Amino acid sequence: MLAVAVQQAINGVVFGSLYVLVALGLTLIYGVLVQINFAHADIVTIGAFAAYFFTYTLGGNYVASIGVALLIGAALGWLINASIFAPLRERGSELLPLIATIGVSVLLQNAMLLWFGPIPYSFDSPYSNQVIRLPGGTFITLQNLIIIAVSTVTIALLYGFMRFTFMGKALRAVAQDRETAGLMGINPNAVIMLTFVIASALAGMGGAMLGPILVLTPFAGTSVIVKAFAIVIIGGFGNVEGTVIAGLLVGLIESYTTQFINPGLTDIVVFTLLLAVLALRPTGLIAEKREENV
Amino acid sequence: MYSGRRVGYLIAAAVIALLPLIFQDSYWRTNLTVCAITVMLAIGLDFILGYAGQLNLGHCAFYGIGAYASTLLITRLGVPFWIAFACAIALAGAAGMALAMFAVRLRGHYLAIASLAFAVIVHQVLLNWISLTQGPLGIYGIRPPPPIALPGLPVISFANAGNMFYLVAGFALLFYFLLDQILRSPIGEALTAIREDEVSAASFGINCAGWKVFAFGIGSAVAGAAGAFYASLVGTLVPDAFIITESFTILAMVIVGGMATLLGPVCGAILLTVLPELLRGFGDLRLVLYGAALTLVVLFMPGGMAQAARLIRPRLPGVRAKLLHDRAA
Repeated sequence: MLAVAVQQAINGVVFGSLYVLVALGLTLIYGVLVQINFAHADIVTIGAFAAYFFTYTLGGNYVASIGVALLIGAALGWLINASIFAPLRERGSELLPLIATIGVSVLLQNAMLLWFGPIPYSFDSPYSNQVIRLPGGTFITLQNLIIIAVSTVTIALLYGFMRFTFMGKALRAVAQDRETAGLMGINPNAVIMLTFVIASALAGMGGAMLGPILVLTPFAGTSVIVKAFAIVIIGGFGNVEGTVIAGLLVGLIESYTTQFINPGLTDIVVFTLLLAVLALRPTGLIAEKREENV
Repeated sequence: MYSGRRVGYLIAAAVIALLPLIFQDSYWRTNLTVCAITVMLAIGLDFILGYAGQLNLGHCAFYGIGAYASTLLITRLGVPFWIAFACAIALAGAAGMALAMFAVRLRGHYLAIASLAFAVIVHQVLLNWISLTQGPLGIYGIRPPPPIALPGLPVISFANAGNMFYLVAGFALLFYFLLDQILRSPIGEALTAIREDEVSAASFGINCAGWKVFAFGIGSAVAGAAGAFYASLVGTLVPDAFIITESFTILAMVIVGGMATLLGPVCGAILLTVLPELLRGFGDLRLVLYGAALTLVVLFMPGGMAQAARLIRPRLPGVRAKLLHDRAA
């Protein structure tokens, strides 16, 4: 029983750290722009497909494919900001950019459907079969170890960037008050673009690592993104530490619900938690930063 | 009633009466009925989004609740169709009000995500409550509404695609009329005031929370009616008919047609339902088209077709002459 609980904790952390990578992008963008990018889901999917084609069609290394997905994600982030968010920023509407990115998402998903077809791709990572035995009868696959290692390093790097570098401080300054940051000589547009590139790079690499776990279809990203929304709200919109904690929490809830209650109920449990958070503590379970939207 | 609008309703009724006579095959008649159902969904969402300004991404859930409620009442409890229909409307409306009551403190993005979460939960419940909904297997053999036998007239059977179209389109027109009446009353002004600025609206003594709940209730009740018609038209129900993408297509219709006009979303719904049917050869391109339309309209013409019509109208020869004449006088 204990071994099962520990094993599910490992699985929960694996899923949770991938959710964190995806959700961090959403929360970073929300932090600087107070906008939601719905097409974030499709960057995850495209990242997964990029990794698949890099490893299978081009015969590349799987770990290198994570880097490829990262670059493609970054390029998409640049494109989405330049084509959607930047032109709509002057209009100052709260909902129009969200609706526009829903359009982008529907467009990308169905373009991928035409291109890649509806049949799920079987994306087996070469590391999924290499099992490392742990004490107490539990185990972890090399693939999951890679996921945890890459996510931890990425999150640590991101944290260090935000905390200690000039651009990271500029990013936080823009998140706090765009106008004042502009007066201090920071170019808000450059910072916003940088945020989009970083956020989408995270989503792309998250996709590359989610690819072997998910059922890889053009719609794979959607199931992840709705959970990422839940995580972002549970953690508090724009709150990086909260997002990390909430992401791991959701990963653990999922794996324990699957093991001990019923696999079909995982989404219901997660989203009921989300609605409960919205009802009781809309600024997030963890420390709050913004209040004007609630 | 202003006579121009009365003429408008008469024209709409005449078009509805004529359409099945023009399209004799049941394929197109069924498509037209689907059109009427999507019109109901679009005007319901427009009432919530366009007028009350609440971004509701859970419209597909109310649609699904209406469809499953009426079907289960008919197949499980043997309730007559029209009572089940009324229950579907009431239940979907109640669900909308419940969501709104819960989400009344939330605005903008938070409401969008709360309604998205609600839609996911409803879909998962439909999928997993197998003893009630038969889950992904779905419910089959749902009958059309029972025939109506008026004294002195032949029996009207709704197994006939033309009659089914008359029924659904008639209800769509009725709902349009009712929503229009609400929006032309002071209630409509209260709703737009909330959309424009909630704080100022409240300072004028408008009960913002109450009217938001009201808008959600009405809009989702119309979606519930659409769901009941959908089930009896298609004859089968699976949970995947009410996935979140369905909310996005309804949203596309409202935006392409033009938010905050009732006629715009009607045109948007008809255009985005009929156009893909005409482009049948492009089958899978349908949703690509929806996505592109949604994005391009928001970027370049956020008022949708209604805005385009306002821009074109003064340039039409007849209207232009009249405007010039008015200006000269």
